[in-house]
Amino acid sequence: MNSLFAVILGIVTVYLAYTRYARRIDRSVIQSDPRRATPATLYMDGVDFMPTNRNILFGYHFKSIAAAGPIVGAIVAATLWGWLPALIWLVVGVSFMGWASDYSAIVLSVRNEGNSLSAVAHRLISPRTRTVLFLFIFFYLLLIAGAFVGIMASVLESQPRTHLGMILLVAMGLLLGQMLYRWRSGLLAATILTVGITLLAILIGPLTEGTFKGLNEMLNGITGGAPIVTYFDPTLASFKGAEAKIMPSLLFWALAICVFCYAGSVLPIWRMAQPVVYVGFWVTALAMILGLAGAALGTFVKPEVAQFRIPAFKGWNPQLGPAGVMPLWPMLFVTIACGAISGWHALFGTVGTARQIENEADMLPVGAGSMFAEFLLGLLALLAVSVGAKGSPVAAFANGLGGFISVWGIPLDYASSLAFAAFIVIVLVVTQLIFRVMRVTLTEWLGEVVPVFRNQHVASFISVALAILLVLTGTWIYLWQLFGAANQLMAALSLLLVTIWLASVGKAWLYAGLPMIFMYVTTVGSVVVTAYNLYFNVYRPNVAAGRLLPAAGSGLMVLVSVLLVMAALLIGLDGWRAFLKYLGRPAPAPGPAPARG
Amino acid sequence: MLGLKPIQQFWYGLTGYEFTRHALDMRRELEGIFMVLTVGDMVGVPVLPPVYALRLLPYLVLEVAQWKREMARRKEFWEKKEYDFQGV
Repeated sequence: MNSLFAVILGIVTVYLAYTRYARRIDRSVIQSDPRRATPATLYMDGVDFMPTNRNILFGYHFKSIAAAGPIVGAIVAATLWGWLPALIWLVVGVSFMGWASDYSAIVLSVRNEGNSLSAVAHRLISPRTRTVLFLFIFFYLLLIAGAFVGIMASVLESQPRTHLGMILLVAMGLLLGQMLYRWRSGLLAATILTVGITLLAILIGPLTEGTFKGLNEMLNGITGGAPIVTYFDPTLASFKGAEAKIMPSLLFWALAICVFCYAGSVLPIWRMAQPVVYVGFWVTALAMILGLAGAALGTFVKPEVAQFRIPAFKGWNPQLGPAGVMPLWPMLFVTIACGAISGWHALFGTVGTARQIENEADMLPVGAGSMFAEFLLGLLALLAVSVGAKGSPVAAFANGLGGFISVWGIPLDYASSLAFAAFIVIVLVVTQLIFRVMRVTLTEWLGEVVPVFRNQHVASFISVALAILLVLTGTWIYLWQLFGAANQLMAALSLLLVTIWLASVGKAWLYAGLPMIFMYVTTVGSVVVTAYNLYFNVYRPNVAAGRLLPAAGSGLMVLVSVLLVMAALLIGLDGWRAFLKYLGRPAPAPGPAPARG
Repeated sequence: MLGLKPIQQFWYGLTGYEFTRHALDMRRELEGIFMVLTVGDMVGVPVLPPVYALRLLPYLVLEVAQWKREMARRKEFWEKKEYDFQGV
């Protein structure tokens, strides 16, 4: 297998799924009508509800849903089960479930006056569903924040050549915000300056490696080379499990990331979060475009970088730690989330994108089109890790992507540096946004009852402290899978809402109902498996060794697993009742659709 | 045929569109304060003596419907929309 065949397979998948299935559902089930007025045209307020050109909205929606998910998921899955199961799930998932979830969530909102998922759940299912969704979303964000901070801290600690680029990324983000919103500079000039300096810093990163290595050694010298925390990590020693150490340098980088995220959470969004995301986007986009084109051309130009090197299939149930189980079903389906199907897309689609849909005919190209583009991103990550095959999973990805980029004549060292930076950048910028949304969710969820949560510093500090606690357990793969499960459950719940809505208006609901049942059962099962792994593989060994922090962190993760299952069961039960109610007695047909004026 | 314009628009959606939206949002925040100060009595806030509001009304009348809709979506009129968490 080589990367060219995989790229061709990806393009054929997108073409067939879009033209043969998605378009048919849009025409025959949803019956999108270009003459029907959308919420954007009915309630236009110039910002949130704003009719927007479909091409612009496609770019906007894709940028909003494309993050580190498709990359990290593919890396972990290929490492655990081999590239073939990951490839099959990506293709099947996006063709029959992923696009349906993203597109249908937008349809649901457009046909329900631009309402969010929770507002529709409140109306169609029950009032308590909205509260349960809040709880669900907060823990979902906490899990991904913990996983991302853990991954980034270990990558930053082990890759001193990326430090200069990251420091300059933050500095350039701050400068860009100042230039655009205070000095009123033009976007083009500001982009050339800030992105150019950031790219330069990333490319000359290998020259500064010695300096930052010295910093790490100095930090570790504070404790005389002794670790701050020791924990049992079941993912070490080829997944047999071993003692792992959190050194002062790792804690330093984890805290540095948290300070950055804290600032991104409490400062005005224009000051830091938005411009840093923008500068980071260019770095990542450059690496991804060069990488994807390099993956297609590599077979002809540089065949050695395009050949798959990891096994196609590693087994149905790889041993992960001494007491761990990792069955392909259900765990693969939550390990790879965003490239196949993702709840985040549905969440964002209902409130961000649906309110800007100008014309019902745009719902399919924007919703499904963005999901297919996200699939290609996941495919690229899978290709990179499959041809990389050296070092840790993240290093394998960076080496593979670096190989693809080197097809364009860039020396491999510099290309790998750019690939590492692209990975860190995409995770870093997403993490700061996650903390921001966590802070807002906490305020919205508990602020009414406990007023102190309305203080943004209190809410941000609690979010950061909980994430650090999870990081200190060190088991980011479990955290990732728990996040994946929460994310996929969100997708199942979104499909559940779509199914109930379709039943309530007397439309065929199977295209959403069948993926919903599969994802619901699979993800609840995966949370149970992960809770089992966490308890026997992490919590018990750490308790037995008397390690307080790792035990508290893994105990918290087990508790979160139980809460996720309970929340899912409650929503599922309420949803089932609502579905039966509407199935027997569809809601009265709405009046004639308002025509665009 | 896929022309250059759709690609330009797609790229703008990926890059500059978010800044445009945010700039519009910031402007709306400022205009919202101005509206409350001048015609806030429409949403129950006692404001300037009506004679001044009436002199400004011709300039504001086009904005009133959108502004009232925006106010109606907020929990409290003085809070920024972020706290309404329209994302959920």
